[in-house]
Amino acid sequence: MSRFKNLFNYALNCIQRYRIRTAVVLICLVVSSAVFSSVAFIEDGLTNEGELSLKYSPDLTVQGVESGRLTPVELRYLGYIQEAPSVTAVVPRIWGYANIGNTLLVVVGIDLSNPTINFAADYPLESGTFLNPESNNSVVIGRGVASLLGVGVGDVLTILTESNQPRTYIVSGIFNSESSIYSGDMILMNLKEARTFFNLPEDKVTDIMVYVSNIDAAQKGALVNLVAREISDLPNCRVVTKNLLLQAQEAAYGDRSGFFSVVWYVILIAVAIIAFNQTVVVGHESKFEIGLLKAVGFSTTDIIQVRLVESLLLGTIAGAVGLAVGIFYDSVLGAPMVADFMMGWATLYPNFTIPVAISLQTVLFTFTITIVPLLFATVIPSWLNATVDPDIAMRGARA
Amino acid sequence: MIEAVELTKIYNQGKKNQVEAVTNVSVTAEDGEITAFVGPSGCGKTTLMSMIGQLLTPTKGKVLVDKEDITAYSDGWKAIFRRKNVGFVFQHINLLPNLNALENVMTPLTCHDVDLADYKEPALSLLGQLGLSERAYFAVEQLSGGQQQRVAVARALITEPAIIVADEPLTFVDEASAKTITDFFSKLRDEGKTIVISTHVSNLAKLADRTYEMKDGRIVKSFEKTA
Repeated sequence: MSRFKNLFNYALNCIQRYRIRTAVVLICLVVSSAVFSSVAFIEDGLTNEGELSLKYSPDLTVQGVESGRLTPVELRYLGYIQEAPSVTAVVPRIWGYANIGNTLLVVVGIDLSNPTINFAADYPLESGTFLNPESNNSVVIGRGVASLLGVGVGDVLTILTESNQPRTYIVSGIFNSESSIYSGDMILMNLKEARTFFNLPEDKVTDIMVYVSNIDAAQKGALVNLVAREISDLPNCRVVTKNLLLQAQEAAYGDRSGFFSVVWYVILIAVAIIAFNQTVVVGHESKFEIGLLKAVGFSTTDIIQVRLVESLLLGTIAGAVGLAVGIFYDSVLGAPMVADFMMGWATLYPNFTIPVAISLQTVLFTFTITIVPLLFATVIPSWLNATVDPDIAMRGARA
Repeated sequence: MIEAVELTKIYNQGKKNQVEAVTNVSVTAEDGEITAFVGPSGCGKTTLMSMIGQLLTPTKGKVLVDKEDITAYSDGWKAIFRRKNVGFVFQHINLLPNLNALENVMTPLTCHDVDLADYKEPALSLLGQLGLSERAYFAVEQLSGGQQQRVAVARALITEPAIIVADEPLTFVDEASAKTITDFFSKLRDEGKTIVISTHVSNLAKLADRTYEMKDGRIVKSFEKTA
């Protein structure tokens, strides 16, 4: 046991003695692991947000399309969709963007007349009361909107329509959804109010939400696809499944993080080259040391153990610091540059804080990528040097 | 007793720059004696010393220690043999930079199953015997060549090996250090250590119980000290 302690202490001593190599390797690994973890945490956060935002979404959304562009959909399709097998509820929705001052928010009009859909559960209130089919001039707003505008229950909210006409509403409740995408920028109102606000004809809505029988998850996907096919022949319509929305979100954020992955891989390769280079630069010193250690009785295994401990310590420290820097950069500094790139259009939302999710998978992967390249870059050259005769190693180092 | 049997070392065998450094050398080093190898620079002394100390694998021949063929050992067993039995003093001193004298002396103990703290006093005592009490905590870069070689001698002895292999230990050493080291070897011989030494310094050679003269990688003459 004393022997392992001695070898461990010797490895610590090596880290101190080769200060320049240690500093270069640490800096490079910290930078690369910080870049990786920062992007990964945001990607995980955005994916989580995406999943949460779709948690209460309808199974299918029917949208109007004309010349490939989204348009309001005909309300008369409601009946046709309702008759499709396994469809349990069909709910029209009107939504769009609106300005309050310089702030762009999402106004959503929901049809509260359908008793099968409990919107109050989708938007859990933290104060006030929820909308009802008769509530006129009332809105329910997200927690983020309330904070941003500095309003509370009972306050009056004036929103400009697209034709710059002010419309006044009373805040009847404030909801706090699991998803900050919802609570950050959403104003809910009655469908009728929304129609007036967006000046939409009586026979049209922005989209139609379709709910399918609530069977087990394994069968539901197939059933939803079946229903989607059934109603996809509606003219000037397209049918979007919840899964498709999720995939689109993942693809969007995945592609963006993919860009950073490329940057990160470049950094990692540079780190590996630097680490290897440092091993070669101090190679003479290291080669001589290995030869000498073998001469005084170290075995090849002892030397590999020493280098393993060195690499593990350096990699772990670098990974931990890199993770800490990544978390600080994302959570405290708000991930400048990275966030803008990752969120894209989402930056339009005024009060939208960057979702940061620290997953065990990302943490473990960060440590893996800081430790493994270092192990390759240091242990392999050391092993190669340790397998030659000590005299050859020392002479080679002196040459 | 150490017996080298027909040792041959060819560097870069089969290549254009092939060099036969040692050719068919057979020598014996008795226990508790100083065996010296003398000869001009480049005659193969260092190569022979390295092969005897198992720092270098011979191209041909074997080394027997107490009749056991240690050249047949695996790399791991050779390391254990060196750890337990041999202390080396090198011509080029070979101390680890950025460590102080005491740390260098204690380096061989790192691979032993011992508490290093227990060996601090013995290490300081060795340095004291070699006149380096005041320099124990000096970085080796701050020491003179002679002082560095004395640190190397202390390092070779910290594990109390039965065999000391010293390759030209006085080459880069001042006169005072040379005398200290020579006297120290004499004392070690009196304590029963087997010392194998290569040198071109006559004072050290005179100390030897058995001397082999080398030329062009071969033993050309050998003689024993007469009482």
